[in-house]
Amino acid sequence: MIGVDTGGTFTDLVALVGGRIRVAKLHSTRDDPGRAVRDGLRALAIDRRTAGLHYGTTVATNALLERRGARVVLVTTAGFEDVIEIGRQVRPSLYDLEPRRPPPLVPRTRRLGVAERILADGRVERRLDRRAVVRLVEAVLRRRPDAVAVSLLHSYAAPRHERLIGRALAARGVHLTLSHRLVREHREYERTATVVVNAYVGPAMTRHLGTLARAASGGLRVMQSSGGLVTARTAAAEPVRTILSGPAGGVVGAVAAARRAGLGPIVTLDMGGTSTDVSLVEGRLAYRAETSIDGLPVRVPALDIHTVGAGGGSLARLDAGGALRVGPESAGADPGPACYGRGTGPTVTDANLVLGRLVETEFLGGALRVDRGRAVAAIAPLARRLGRSIEDAAAGIVRVATATMERAVRVITIERGHDPRDFTLVAFGGAGGAHAAELAADLGLARVYVPRHPGLLSAWGVLAAETIRDFTVTLRAVEPTQAAVGRHFRRLERTVAREVRREALARRVLERALDVRYVGQAYEVQVPYGAGWRAAFRRRHAALFGHADARRPLEVVALRVRVRGGARRPPDDPLPRRARRPSSIATRRVVFPEGSAPTAVYRRADLAVGWAVRGPVIVCEYSATTVVPPGWRLHVDRTAGLVLERT
Amino acid sequence: MDAVTLAIANQRLAAVAEEMGVVLGRTALSPNIKERRDFSCAVFDARGNLVAQAAHIPVHLGSTPLSVRAAIASVPLGPGDVAVLNDPFAGGTHLPDVTVVAPVFLPAARRPFAYVANRAHHADIGGMAPGSMPLATSIFQEGFRLPPVRLIAGGRPQPEVLSLFLANTRVREEREGDLMAQWAALRVGMDRLGALVTRTGGVRRLARQMAALQTYSAALMRASLARIPPGVYRARDLLDDDGLGTERIPIAVAIAIGRGKARVDFTGSASQTRGPVNANFAVTRSAVLYVFTALAPEPIPPNEGLAWPLRIVAPEGSIVHARFPAAVAGGNVETSQRIVDVLLRALARALPARIPAASAGTMNNLALGGVIEGRSFAYYETLAGGAGAGPGGAGLSAVHTHMTNTMNTPVEALEAYYPLRVRRQAVRRGSGGRGRHRGGDGVVRELEFLAPAEVSLLAERRRIPPYGLAGGEAGAPGRDLLIRGGRARRIAAKASFSVEVGDRLRIETPGGGGFGRPRRRR
Repeated sequence: MIGVDTGGTFTDLVALVGGRIRVAKLHSTRDDPGRAVRDGLRALAIDRRTAGLHYGTTVATNALLERRGARVVLVTTAGFEDVIEIGRQVRPSLYDLEPRRPPPLVPRTRRLGVAERILADGRVERRLDRRAVVRLVEAVLRRRPDAVAVSLLHSYAAPRHERLIGRALAARGVHLTLSHRLVREHREYERTATVVVNAYVGPAMTRHLGTLARAASGGLRVMQSSGGLVTARTAAAEPVRTILSGPAGGVVGAVAAARRAGLGPIVTLDMGGTSTDVSLVEGRLAYRAETSIDGLPVRVPALDIHTVGAGGGSLARLDAGGALRVGPESAGADPGPACYGRGTGPTVTDANLVLGRLVETEFLGGALRVDRGRAVAAIAPLARRLGRSIEDAAAGIVRVATATMERAVRVITIERGHDPRDFTLVAFGGAGGAHAAELAADLGLARVYVPRHPGLLSAWGVLAAETIRDFTVTLRAVEPTQAAVGRHFRRLERTVAREVRREALARRVLERALDVRYVGQAYEVQVPYGAGWRAAFRRRHAALFGHADARRPLEVVALRVRVRGGARRPPDDPLPRRARRPSSIATRRVVFPEGSAPTAVYRRADLAVGWAVRGPVIVCEYSATTVVPPGWRLHVDRTAGLVLERT
Repeated sequence: MDAVTLAIANQRLAAVAEEMGVVLGRTALSPNIKERRDFSCAVFDARGNLVAQAAHIPVHLGSTPLSVRAAIASVPLGPGDVAVLNDPFAGGTHLPDVTVVAPVFLPAARRPFAYVANRAHHADIGGMAPGSMPLATSIFQEGFRLPPVRLIAGGRPQPEVLSLFLANTRVREEREGDLMAQWAALRVGMDRLGALVTRTGGVRRLARQMAALQTYSAALMRASLARIPPGVYRARDLLDDDGLGTERIPIAVAIAIGRGKARVDFTGSASQTRGPVNANFAVTRSAVLYVFTALAPEPIPPNEGLAWPLRIVAPEGSIVHARFPAAVAGGNVETSQRIVDVLLRALARALPARIPAASAGTMNNLALGGVIEGRSFAYYETLAGGAGAGPGGAGLSAVHTHMTNTMNTPVEALEAYYPLRVRRQAVRRGSGGRGRHRGGDGVVRELEFLAPAEVSLLAERRRIPPYGLAGGEAGAPGRDLLIRGGRARRIAAKASFSVEVGDRLRIETPGGGGFGRPRRRR
């Protein structure tokens, strides 16, 4: 089995061969993302006829973000061709004299209305007649589309008209998306937007996976935004499900690592160059029914990951009112932080370097030269304007960046009814370990955990992920009887059975859930379906919103079925034997919020299981650095993870 | 205060306001609050000065502080107490906007160290027409007027106040649910502020940070004003009418800029009118704060400090500072937009390379209600229009501009819950003004009624179109049609009327003005 994660800079591969782990890290090949994967497979020297490939890809995401998608024709109910252009009629920023929205993915000339009308309860007001379908197919094909999206009003309630159109367009050589098949839910804008994104990225994804499947003949599964895998065939038909899969591998990897370490509930912290992703996992992964990308809503399940614009490359400046701002402007990968040699603006990474929290000689195992002098020079003008020393200014940059991350963690914990004190912060990504302890202290989190190979955690997560298929249908029934809900589930599960057969899943598990709300509310709370779903809803509502009412009638808005399976727990990477008492590679002066202190620097590869030490300590490894401040204790747990706790 | 503490204090206080917004949005009952997010939440210091506000709708920006001050002045508020109010002449804006205010105490403290408040637009607050935005001539016809009174005392809802309130509205369950959601949001805000005191290291330190944040916003505003060439800039624009016979109602402004300050003088604007387009001072203040906030080169935390460098002169008894008992429902939603148009037109003389042409200039308010199978329903929404084109490019189509940013109700949700069928929902092609950059297009929404209903329409820019700038042409004015028995006839844009089963209402909203001289066509 091989796990592959394609990132903006690196493509990582983690392979399990005969119970042993092999890893490869290659530069991503943006023009043809498959090339890095094929090169990696060669580098790992694995027989690709037998190896199953688990693949995290940004092909669909990039096609959308760079607007290099397909020529799409959109079919809607006549009179509603502009739904994707009107959206929810809001502008993205409130105080902006010239607001902008990206133009619709399908121009007006390729949006076709068809005379038909279905009502909210599924009754047909105006039947779609056969001649209209024939004319429609002609009109569609005249526009020479690569992909066709169909989204008729109330199709979730009665899909028959979409099916008629689907049948007529099948076998016409276009990528076809029917809204009731992809998102069987009400709210026409969100559904149509999702269907259009799917069509827009469909042909590119189909081509890409087709090529890659030939390179990995042992089976290809693709990572979705939900953190679960699907077959290449499903991913090609429903590529929108992969659109936010980038950070999903890391979260799945963090959860796998946390489970092995026996950590209980966790908050993941993935700090990258321009932004930081956080998510909360309590027992099981948390999902959102809807996310957005580039201002477009995407209504497919995604891991509940919250992103803020503060990362290692975030730029610091003093604004006209006299406050220090860090981000959202970023030096990005190019020019990058000043200390990397090209940039000149002060970044969070420069500040960490100036404070001694990053070690110049240890970036990428010494392969990346960094220049502390450049970092000092970048921060100096800011320090002058602040009337502070360079170290004080650097400490300020780190504090403001940490406060931004803190706000992100608050959103996913406190704002959703969780007490952060019950959680362990699992830090990965390059810079997470440098800020994790301070962040945990600010929020009162119990401890910090840095898993092994934090720079390869996403590929590890893709490798370890299970296969997941999600199915939904809108119901909108007030106080339905248990029998009625059961009947609807059985109907939905007939579709599920048909679809899932194709995934060839071993050890299949079926999970049922309901989207429930009080009658009159507009947002739903998801609860597992069972005899006690009403009570479960009230408990969850009370936890989220502080109140619940046993008398108020409930409305079941949607039914959800999730099929999981096929996960194989990868064996642990055997721990290499090491010296019991590692020796530090250096002792250096490091600035902490409480003052500066001489601090020992260790290489992670030298640390043995069971070893413990009091902070301040710095642990360096290939693509990450962990800072253990004074007042914290570090120990290496039985999974060789770093555990930081307050003393 | 040092730059780092300031940045962190800003983050933390803004987070409190935002979290209140999350709770209110999720727990409210009515689609208008939940789906369209027609509300805002804010934190105030011990004297009732705005410290942080979650950005949802600009029209609330300058007006919430006046509510808090009115509540403090008229109701003694102890721990666990909540005041409620909507009186436009005592801290409110228009009657459907119901504001709740609570003091925040530390345990055993005698004085509050902060206040929290939120304001939400209720779909109905009584009066002569469902939706409470009728063609009225006085506040008494518009709905139930509530001066600041105690809704919650010592943590307990006051049944007398609550039942008085609910008896005067059309859909009681919804009103009660929304009010309770507003209270829940206040409680979360109080909890978070209490925790913040501990984290900050005491009430005194937090108070200093609250004060420093206001100074900070004031400094940002002064820096922004300093970029405008000094001078006096004048402009004038007109409201179509007040719906009751007074037409072409002028709003005039003279903006004097100099030394990092601005004096905004509305002298010369029309007197208040009989119809419901009067703005009270809170609304006018919001419009002024919105324009200068949007003009700033970087985000300014919304708090009291914004207003320090701005002096607003609005003669009492005028259309921009109405006196009791004027009808004001449209002041908040319509006149506020025109005030923005006037301010931007004046500023365009100072900053021709930054100011866009006029946007739709109306919120196209539609309120309706009735009784079906013994149950009442009330429905309210606003429709987008075109944005004005600017020096940077074409205007957006089908988007809410300036003083509002509320979402539309999905057709599939609307049809499932109301006796309505949507026949058309489209961009109104060609309605944007021509120009080097074209104005954005408005929208067309056509509704069919499946039950008899009372309808109120309150809209503007049906006669006097949104202006173009720098040689760009005006946007197309809006129009409104009632289609009965297959025959369409134009109706007034400010009207209350009855509809029958099968009637259709078609609203076509204005496009934005164009910017720059259009290329000549051969």
